[in-house]
Amino acid sequence: MRCKTAEKWISRELDGRLDGRSRGLLEEHLRACPACRKAEAEYRSLQALLRPGKEEAPLPRFWERLEPRIREEQKIVPLVLWERWALHAIPAFAALVALAAALLFLTPQTPEMSQSESLLIENANPFSETRGLFEEKRPEARSMMLIFASLDDNPAARRQRP
Amino acid sequence: MDEKQLVRLAQDGSQEAFAELVAKYQSKVFSMAMSFIRNREAADDAAQEVFLKAYLALPKFHMKSEFGTWLYRIAVNHVKDVLRKRGRAREVSLEDVRELPVADENALEKAEAERETEARKSLVQRFVQALPEKYRDILTLRDIQGLPYEEIAQVLHLSPGTVDSRLHRARKMLKDRLAPHLGQEGGFHEM
Repeated sequence: MRCKTAEKWISRELDGRLDGRSRGLLEEHLRACPACRKAEAEYRSLQALLRPGKEEAPLPRFWERLEPRIREEQKIVPLVLWERWALHAIPAFAALVALAAALLFLTPQTPEMSQSESLLIENANPFSETRGLFEEKRPEARSMMLIFASLDDNPAARRQRP
Repeated sequence: MDEKQLVRLAQDGSQEAFAELVAKYQSKVFSMAMSFIRNREAADDAAQEVFLKAYLALPKFHMKSEFGTWLYRIAVNHVKDVLRKRGRAREVSLEDVRELPVADENALEKAEAERETEARKSLVQRFVQALPEKYRDILTLRDIQGLPYEEIAQVLHLSPGTVDSRLHRARKMLKDRLAPHLGQEGGFHEM
């Protein structure tokens, strides 16, 4: 057995992970090799120095100090969750608004028609209303007709059909 | 009540159940923090943080591993964060090498021997802390905390084969580095 392998096996033996046959081979090597014997002794001593003497206890009143911190965290957690939610919700809302705006912008809109265009589509004479205006002889009556025509909200609806 | 039941109750919001889990694991978590940090107050702080983190993470624990292993994983990660934040400044408080009261000749000799052992242990601990992180972690978990290979593999996310080879390299590195210091006057031997 090579010393390098023996050293690996010493490490395994410290943890009790060497099978019977390998342990026999290692012992045989250790009997013949003073350097590996010394290494084995050093590994064992080192392990003893690393091992803590007793299980160490934390400072007194561990739970009594921990409990208020847990209660405090419980109060904070919903706020943190809300903040996290808000952090995600705000960009999501902005993205939705942008999407809606883009849809509105990109959707082909029916162009708003002028009154004359509407009447032409309905196969009506757009000049029918003005005809009476031109035919009126009295200036006062014509002025009145002009005033009423300008006040009219929805003249197309009340136009006389030819 | 068994541990799984306690964990389930704690997940449902029972602080009494969580208090029982804390009582069961507080010394183990503290010892682990202590073996990395080497300062009682800082290790106690770290242990408190570990349990706080564990409490908040309880809903994410799905019992795929033992509760203790899961807690150890949180503890190791937290302690590593603490060490990283400190820039691995090693703290050795006076408690590590405390003065022992002496009464007579025998007690004096005994006290001297104990002090010598304490000094050696303290030196070894310092060298462990100075190892590369991956070797320090595995050596602490195995040789100081005494965790079984399988648990170390779960805590550090390693295969059992890697635990075996890395542990050997860590021990060898520690032995080689300590040789010039412990090789004289009594060698490696514990007093």
